[in-house]
Amino acid sequence: MNLFMRWTGILVVIFIAAPLVIVVPMSFSSANSLQFPPPGYWLGYYRAYFTNPDWLIPTWNSILIATATTILTMILVVPATFALVRHKFRGKSFADLMMLMPLAVPHIVMAVGYYSYLGDLGLVHSHLGVILAHTCLSVPIAFLVLSANLKGFDRNLERAAQSLGASPTKTFMHITLPILRPGLIISALFAFVQSFDETVVAIFISGRDAATLPRKMFDSIRQEADPVIAVISTLLFFLVLIGIAAPYFVSALRSRAPKPSRPAGAH
Amino acid sequence: MGMSLSRLTEKTNIWPWLLLAPLGIYMLIFFVVPLADVAIMSFTEPRVSLANYERVLTGALYQRVFVNTFLTAAFVTLCCLAVGYPLAYLMAHSKPRTAMLILLLVTMSFWTSFLVRTYSWMVLLGNNGPLIAFLQMIGIDQPPQLLFTRFSSTLAMVHILAPYMIMNVYSVMKKIDPVLIRSAESLGARGWSLFRHVYLPLTAPGIANGSVLVFVICLGFYVTPVLLGSPREQMIAGLIGHQIDEFLAFGMGSAMAMVLLVVTLIILTIYHRRFGLDKLWG
Repeated sequence: MNLFMRWTGILVVIFIAAPLVIVVPMSFSSANSLQFPPPGYWLGYYRAYFTNPDWLIPTWNSILIATATTILTMILVVPATFALVRHKFRGKSFADLMMLMPLAVPHIVMAVGYYSYLGDLGLVHSHLGVILAHTCLSVPIAFLVLSANLKGFDRNLERAAQSLGASPTKTFMHITLPILRPGLIISALFAFVQSFDETVVAIFISGRDAATLPRKMFDSIRQEADPVIAVISTLLFFLVLIGIAAPYFVSALRSRAPKPSRPAGAH
Repeated sequence: MGMSLSRLTEKTNIWPWLLLAPLGIYMLIFFVVPLADVAIMSFTEPRVSLANYERVLTGALYQRVFVNTFLTAAFVTLCCLAVGYPLAYLMAHSKPRTAMLILLLVTMSFWTSFLVRTYSWMVLLGNNGPLIAFLQMIGIDQPPQLLFTRFSSTLAMVHILAPYMIMNVYSVMKKIDPVLIRSAESLGARGWSLFRHVYLPLTAPGIANGSVLVFVICLGFYVTPVLLGSPREQMIAGLIGHQIDEFLAFGMGSAMAMVLLVVTLIILTIYHRRFGLDKLWG
């Protein structure tokens, strides 16, 4: 049993790793089809990506939309999380459950709703429409991260500050906020990634003008499998690698060990 | 002594509502109303009737797609378990350094956009890809079509969803007290019996968590089946998209979306009753 599990485990490592790394050699391929191993190597498709507005505009759209989504999400979620973690009130467990609802609804269902609803509002195919929709989908993820942080908050620190004469506002600004900063940053980061990666709703509502990078990639994979996708995949791969490795490096430097994990979203 | 922040806020009970109000109103306008719109359209498009549901629930095409979606989700969940359990075991029972490297890999996979992972499988399984080349090398002259089949979309979905299973099972395995295993061994449990009666029950909560997540996500999966699957064997999400995209049949699309939503919510409600929904994503 033991040995069997071990060997199966090793095979699974290969199964998980192979598709992640294969995009790297593919991005340098000189073939214009999905040929592997590549017949030759060049940087042509990198040049194609960085000079072609068909790819650069969706990239910019995605960054813009994800940034706006993050800001809007945090403005809404931070006060709500304080209310839900620090207060007891009637209907609290219902409100808690409602916070998670966007995770429970399949994105294709929301896509149908947004397509029709934002169409009625004249917001379909606009940046604002995508931002408004993505914010709903980012709320539960930002909330889960932030509430976990807030639950672990030692409130004696606030009490100590107040017993020393600090006003509630001062306590919040000088004690609560600085201690909570890592949690806030991670929460915002998750909101950003959720929006940046979101594909299904974006496919249906972003249209041509506000097309996000995932939407453009989806269309391209479906139609022609443009080799530029391998370039973008490689760039995203290294972004994720840096994002995950950075905390390990920092923690190795500080010799502490926080573990990056991510609450699941419905794809 | 100054009045503490907590006491101040506990006394005046309007505070939590003020803090919650902006988000509550926002979610009402941009989440609840669009969702209600889907429910309404399913009954009113193109005219007020139950015709959409009648077609969705009795039409042969739709029934086949529902059954196909359900079976695929169940199969993908089983595969994720078959793939994820041994890997979680390997992580839980190897040196911290090895465990951390595997965890890093799984986390990488988790964070990598599933469009990227879908594209990778197109390369791996394509007609000019390494798998076909390998099959030709070992003497299979006419290798089967791998891409755009049920096989390719299932394989990619297992790869994409396995991290959910691995992380859930691993987090439970890590917490198992080795004393329990040793005492079971001292009482004579060995091999299969030790696994079946001690290890497996101890890891059951992780299996339940991971399975519910994978199954539910797979039920509503759109991108990967559409890009990698066979056009003749669609899943429910793909069919919904098709109705909206190609035919602008909002009534039919909404009715199918409602069926998908209700099934998903039933599964999550059962889970919520037993374990609590907050644990699923926590």
